[in-house]
Amino acid sequence: MLRKILLPSILGILGYGFWVSPDFKEIAAGVSIFLFGMLFLEDGFKSFTGGMLEKLLQKTTNKTWKSLLFGIVSTTIMQSSSLVSVITISFISAGLVTLVAGIGIIFGANIGTTTGAWLVAAFGLKVKISAYAMPMLVFGIVLSFQKSKYLKGFGSVLAGLGFLFLGIHYMKEGFEAFKDTFDLAALAVEGYPGLFLFAGIGVAATVIMQSSHATLVLILTALAASQITYENALALAIGANVGTTITAIIGSLSANIQGKRLAGAHLIFNAVTGIIAIAFIGQFVWAVDAISNRVGIAADNYTMKLAVFHTLFNLVGVIVMVPLIHRLADSLFKVFPEKAKDLAQPLYLSEAAIEFPETVLKALKKEVWHLFDSAFEIMAHGINLHRRQILKSTDLQKTIDEDREIHELDIDEVYERKVKVLYSAIIDFISNAQAQMPSIYSEEMFRLRKASAEIVECVKHVKHLRKNATRYMVSDNEHIRDEYNRLRYQVSMILREIYRLRGEGDYDHALGMLELDELKAEIQLEHRQLDERVTRILRNDQITAMMATSLLNDFNYVDETSRQLLDTAQALLVSHSDLVAEAAREVVLDKDEIEQASAA
Amino acid sequence: MKFSRLIDKVEKIADKYQQGDQVDSQKLTELQSLLGDKIARYQARLEEDMSEQKRDKLETRLKVVRAQLQKSQDLKKSS
Repeated sequence: MLRKILLPSILGILGYGFWVSPDFKEIAAGVSIFLFGMLFLEDGFKSFTGGMLEKLLQKTTNKTWKSLLFGIVSTTIMQSSSLVSVITISFISAGLVTLVAGIGIIFGANIGTTTGAWLVAAFGLKVKISAYAMPMLVFGIVLSFQKSKYLKGFGSVLAGLGFLFLGIHYMKEGFEAFKDTFDLAALAVEGYPGLFLFAGIGVAATVIMQSSHATLVLILTALAASQITYENALALAIGANVGTTITAIIGSLSANIQGKRLAGAHLIFNAVTGIIAIAFIGQFVWAVDAISNRVGIAADNYTMKLAVFHTLFNLVGVIVMVPLIHRLADSLFKVFPEKAKDLAQPLYLSEAAIEFPETVLKALKKEVWHLFDSAFEIMAHGINLHRRQILKSTDLQKTIDEDREIHELDIDEVYERKVKVLYSAIIDFISNAQAQMPSIYSEEMFRLRKASAEIVECVKHVKHLRKNATRYMVSDNEHIRDEYNRLRYQVSMILREIYRLRGEGDYDHALGMLELDELKAEIQLEHRQLDERVTRILRNDQITAMMATSLLNDFNYVDETSRQLLDTAQALLVSHSDLVAEAAREVVLDKDEIEQASAA
Repeated sequence: MKFSRLIDKVEKIADKYQQGDQVDSQKLTELQSLLGDKIARYQARLEEDMSEQKRDKLETRLKVVRAQLQKSQDLKKSS
């Protein structure tokens, strides 16, 4: 309902404003151009940084100070705390960064974003920046038409900055002209009522513009033109800080529970900081005056003093909140509890994860492992074994020989419910992600798609195997029973080995990949031995020709299942960031090499 | 330097940064040492008494590890 009324109301107010005041039109156009510049800047940084930002982010998870520093530096460089928040949410959603590290980054981003006020106050309002804006726009747009993605990214950053400067110029001009016809300062309200009123206006302006940066520039330009008082500007800045959390909250709507927790942390931090700033406004004003005096800022240079205030109260917020970071994370875990996981649904593929290439790959790999887990259970039951028997038995072959329990299972129904849903989600996610991913990730995406398809194929093979395996595992003919138990053993042994290797660290994954080659060669050996055994027991009339045919057909299913499971594991075990794994991938043998190596 | 050549150079540096070096020679050496240890371990186990079936399997595994070692040596030579 609110949404339906909000947009027409905003458009109506803007339209009325344009009609009564051409100066207001200029200010509004300035804000719009500024916001457009922010979009360009964010787009540029996204393509320009490639995977660098994500790689750096992954390294900031171990210490709170590193997370803080990352938040400060990245937001200072990109001048967008929203972009940093969105990246952090996407990483938390994909399970790559802990909530505590994410909160640290958000705290840092709050300090980083204050550098924008310094730049505008010190540079943007003193120099005729429109003179710089024009060439930047021209160069930026020309570069953004280039094929090279780096030039394109650089062009977007340049054009973004150009638009930001142009926006500031129009806001400045608008306020200069506006003060001749209408004095906003006359509306100033003294004391705490004024503080709350203007903080509220700051919140509303930031919610509407979706950028605290734009609000802050608007405040600074209005302050420079003496359209608002210094005290009211302080309150507006506090409000802008609280309002900016709305962007994070909107970003978290499509994220999973972890993303929502981070947005909650953002809101709590900014609200607490805002309350502290309002409660101790007198002390803050005194501290700002003292600092300004010490660093040589003139007593009447209110724009610079506002920048000092903005940095100071965010810094105080961080100092107060950092010791509470773990307690805050604990509370958020309680407020946003983990829902019981529906294992049939994708666990890692959120829309938030699709934003950045490294997140896409990591989330995808986790989801393919999840698909493997679901398939593992179906395959185990398909060959009439429990998952725990495969994983825990000390003598797997003996367990298989002795256990003759037949499991009730409708593979088609379980496949539809547990595998197809996940597989479809993975394919859908890949096709959506691929449109936005740089080409260097295509090979890895292809590998993961193939791995998912192979897992699904394996389930289908086991479905075919199940009919005869169930029939002959309880047969009185020990020869055919033994042979089918061998097939059951082969499938379960491979599932068990993959599960074991997966639990190892990155370094052992590299060796695990190579060990899987040995299993592939063992399967080839088994194939040759089976041919010999079948010929022998058939010749001795120990099995019928029908049994032999079934056995050879079913062995092909097992052979194919084993090979596909091992290929899948090799695709999933390789880690991008691990050089030993990269080297091991090059050493993995292909089909012909294995055949050659295992030949008698 | 021509502008297009400068762009090519920038792209190459960026690609190299993103993909990492093709195969790290030091890591290959590390891998070779591990494969060498594994070969020694398998050879020692073959000295022990075991069923013919187990022996066949172990010999097959040994052949695979030797092939991997050979491949890594070839890779190192060519890189």
